[in-house]
Amino acid sequence: MTDTQGGLRGWTAGRKGNLSRLRFTSLRLRLVVVFGLVALTAAVSASGIAYWLNREAVLTRAQDAVLRDFQQEMQNRAGALPVHPSQDELQHAAGQMAGSSQRFSVLLVAQDPSGKTVYGNSGGINGFALEDVPRSLRAAVNKQQKVTDANKSPYHLYWQRVDEHGTPYLVAGTRLIGGGPTGYMAKSLEPEAKDLNSLAWSLGIATGLALIGSALLAQAAATTVLKPVQRLGVAARSLGEGKLDTRLRVTGTDELADLSRTFNNAAEALEKRVADMAARDDASRRFVADMSHELRTPLTAITAVTEVLEEELESEAGGIDPMVEPAVRLVVSETRRLNDLVENLMEVTRFDAGTARLVLDYVDIADQITACIDARAWLDAVELDAERGTHARLDPRRLDVILANLIGNALKHGGSPVRVSVRMDDEEGADLVIAVRDHGPGIPEDVLPHVFDRFYKASASRPRSEGSGLGLSIALENAHIHGGEITAANSPDGGAVFTLRLPRDASQLTEENGEGTKNDEIGNSGKEGS
Amino acid sequence: MGQNEPVPSLLLIEDDDAIRTALELSLTRQGHRVATAASGEDGLKLLREQRPDLIVLDVMLPGIDGFEVCRRIRRTDQLPIILLTARNDDIDVVVGLESGADDYVVKPVQGRVLDARIRAVLRRGERESSDSAAFGSLVIDRSAMTVTKNGEDLQLTPTELRLLLELSRRPGQALSRQQLLRLVWEHDYLGDSRLVDACVQRLRAKVEDVPSSPTLIRTVRGVGYRLDTPQ
Repeated sequence: MTDTQGGLRGWTAGRKGNLSRLRFTSLRLRLVVVFGLVALTAAVSASGIAYWLNREAVLTRAQDAVLRDFQQEMQNRAGALPVHPSQDELQHAAGQMAGSSQRFSVLLVAQDPSGKTVYGNSGGINGFALEDVPRSLRAAVNKQQKVTDANKSPYHLYWQRVDEHGTPYLVAGTRLIGGGPTGYMAKSLEPEAKDLNSLAWSLGIATGLALIGSALLAQAAATTVLKPVQRLGVAARSLGEGKLDTRLRVTGTDELADLSRTFNNAAEALEKRVADMAARDDASRRFVADMSHELRTPLTAITAVTEVLEEELESEAGGIDPMVEPAVRLVVSETRRLNDLVENLMEVTRFDAGTARLVLDYVDIADQITACIDARAWLDAVELDAERGTHARLDPRRLDVILANLIGNALKHGGSPVRVSVRMDDEEGADLVIAVRDHGPGIPEDVLPHVFDRFYKASASRPRSEGSGLGLSIALENAHIHGGEITAANSPDGGAVFTLRLPRDASQLTEENGEGTKNDEIGNSGKEGS
Repeated sequence: MGQNEPVPSLLLIEDDDAIRTALELSLTRQGHRVATAASGEDGLKLLREQRPDLIVLDVMLPGIDGFEVCRRIRRTDQLPIILLTARNDDIDVVVGLESGADDYVVKPVQGRVLDARIRAVLRRGERESSDSAAFGSLVIDRSAMTVTKNGEDLQLTPTELRLLLELSRRPGQALSRQQLLRLVWEHDYLGDSRLVDACVQRLRAKVEDVPSSPTLIRTVRGVGYRLDTPQ
């Protein structure tokens, strides 16, 4: 039984652990997020810078080479052309220029001798025409600048990067100084773009890997930190459940080890305190038990002699001095009270020590109640609502103690008529419910929770000569040992109601205790004989 | 306390001086002749010298305790024994009943209660009707107040005899423990059913062929006991 409970507890604890791992505010999640952010920032900035630098270097190098080549070709090929070349010459020159190692497309624009504008293109790219050259570039190329010291030539080589249908191009143009064709070139930058793309991909993948790695690291770090914390949590819980010998294994010298050490010290101190208190409690309990035991020996002698005195009082001969008579009466009545008190004290100490046992028998409840009332001459003051034939298996002596205390209490504080009703509770199974209701003023609300307390007096004004102050407490203990319960309440119609609830068969309880099974053993052997 | 009855003689074995004196005083006033002893050894010696009708025996005694005294008496004698025990519901009662006591009274004991118990126990030995009954090999002679099994006399205590008589008066009919307590022990409604169980066991040990599987005194589960005629 304990094992399954432990297993269940372990399982719920594990589930709780999972939940806390998922909770947004959990330490683990926070660690993972922080590690991730750090890794992301570092990776993104590093790869961003690397990509940018790389891109510039690659593009500049490619561009410089192309432009240098183009300039060279312009001087060599286009410069060799006449100032007004024919269409064919222009076309030829363009073709030659495009044949250079850089493989760019060339467009030459000039005016033939007749003054007509002629175009010659390399044909490397179909339709590389003037329209493909951005207007701004054309304007810049054809713009004549003032020649100064700082600017030695009226025309310069201009370039621009354009993007056409997703492919990046380098477009450049220049004009030969001193007349001649204007040349444009276009070079696809696709290979470079591809290189840069793959670089970007690799950097992205690296960043992703760094993120995953950081998450794993964070997880590992969280585990090393959280495992001791979790152990501490489990230990604290088991300490709370009363396992005061719970201790943690202390390893290392870090803050968590310190915490574990503190926990162990606290648990040890707590265990010692509880043990001290239990020992003191035991000692005082034993003292009460011993004391009531010791009281009984002189009390037995006194009781026996008191009866002699009592008979003397009752005898008609009047053997006692009238002056002494009140004293004798007092001794007789107080001895009886002392007897009750000691008897109740002993009953209480038996319950406290856990040595109280049930002696079970099958009884008719109505008969038991009638006998209880009859034996105490309460028949006139008590109305009984019970049918004969209701049987239960319980300890008749203890039932009598309960009933006598409940009815006696009702008569004393509530006044007659006291109504006792018996019914079966079929809803919850086989429970016996006995309600004792008086017609007094009821119990004040502030007193209600204390009616079963030992030596609790409802009010200081109440005469304290009646009862030992233990009666209802003993009644409750007697109900508990049967596995039953007594509750006190005020009836809406006035008066207090004490409700006793007992299982109809208390034998399961005694079988666990290993006591009171005698009847059953005899029962079994009887069966075998038939 | 009728004047015509013979005065019962009791032996009170109790070590505490005050209790012994007080109980002696009380019981004497109730009309008993009381002899006292302060220890088990003294009590056993006194028992041999003068034969009392009944023994009132304290459980807690110096030297040999009340249980042992009870067992020693039962080895040779069937005279009734009432135990004075300290506690109502612990092992004392069970051990006391198993060692052969007929009844017990819990301290602090009231003289009237003790007197009533003493008288009830003594009444068990009184003869009543004059017939006899046979249950198999068991023959109960109510006039002679003797029980024989296979022709041999059985040594029964008055309580065992009374229990057998009450059962034999209603053969085949189940009697509850509470009924038996009223009939045999004359207890009020709060009698201790362990008295019945212990006495039935002692009786079975004497009258049954095999006490562990009884054929005469049968247990009726949930009710009590009944006496059967073997087939």
